[in-house]
Amino acid sequence: MKKIIPALLAMVLVLVFMLPAFGQEDIVELKDPAFTAPKRPAAVFKHDEHNELAQIDDCTPCHHEDVDEEGQFIEGDPDYKCADCHTVEKGNGTPLQLAYHKMCIDCHTEKKAGPVACGQCHVK
Amino acid sequence: MFNEIYELVTGPLAWIGWGIFLLGSVYKLASLWSLAKKKDTSSIYYTKAKFGLRSIAQWSLPFGTLGWRETPSVTVVTFVFHICLILVPIFLSAHVILWEEWFGVSIPALPNHVADVMTLLVIAGGTFFAWRRFSVPEVAFVTSGHDWFVLGVVVAPFLTGFLAYHQIFNYEVMIVLHVITGIAWLALIPFTRLSHMLVSWYSRAYIGSEFQGVRHCKDW
Repeated sequence: MKKIIPALLAMVLVLVFMLPAFGQEDIVELKDPAFTAPKRPAAVFKHDEHNELAQIDDCTPCHHEDVDEEGQFIEGDPDYKCADCHTVEKGNGTPLQLAYHKMCIDCHTEKKAGPVACGQCHVK
Repeated sequence: MFNEIYELVTGPLAWIGWGIFLLGSVYKLASLWSLAKKKDTSSIYYTKAKFGLRSIAQWSLPFGTLGWRETPSVTVVTFVFHICLILVPIFLSAHVILWEEWFGVSIPALPNHVADVMTLLVIAGGTFFAWRRFSVPEVAFVTSGHDWFVLGVVVAPFLTGFLAYHQIFNYEVMIVLHVITGIAWLALIPFTRLSHMLVSWYSRAYIGSEFQGVRHCKDW
């Protein structure tokens, strides 16, 4: 009995310290809260798995801020939200939905890999 | 593999389909017009815009004519079927996104549940027409293989679109079938009985002119 109590305690401690790790959960879908009334399920997107599979090391072009004089994306801070610049409603620049669609589909079309049709990302 | 197929059907194949539809429609109208000029000049002579538009307007009203009042079920289904058939492909939200992303054109979209019901109405309407071709003797008598083919061509993009949207069966297969059947639907308009989309306006205008201008009576 005396041995079981420290063992249980150790297990509890391990679990408690594991919690923050769960807090940093991987991104598995693009559920942008800027879309208040989404018409489709959020796009499936496993961030780390995607980048590993696609052999992507750079944060651009996805994480960008503005474009340079040659029209190339300038590297941006991943802490910024897409919706910080791209508005849901049409305004200046690319609207949010179009920005997401173009970023994913254009690259997948170019690389001939990854989902390109609606239901491949917006899985019911 | 899927990416290549999807790119092929939404790219070159879609352009070919639109090309056949547009050029074929011009050809169909031009060839019929030259045939009428050669063989039926009196019909062209008697066709007048005033009588023609009057007739088209009257027949555009559900139950606006004796013909529409004769078989109410056919009238209701015909109107619902055609209205949904035209509006859904243009204003479906998924298509509105493609209008925007492929052509930079912004148009309003139907709410998804409304478009869903309208799609089902097209499928139900097609089923009703199929039932008539089987069961109503005077319709069965004039039904040929061509009619079944055309009915299938018209309903197929709606059925595959419905199944793709709800992700029933294999989505990748269904979306490709949807695009192919949609393109076939467009491309076959000038060369099948679907050409009524192009020429029925003139048929109606001629009959309206014949009745109102020559016989001095209504054609509705």
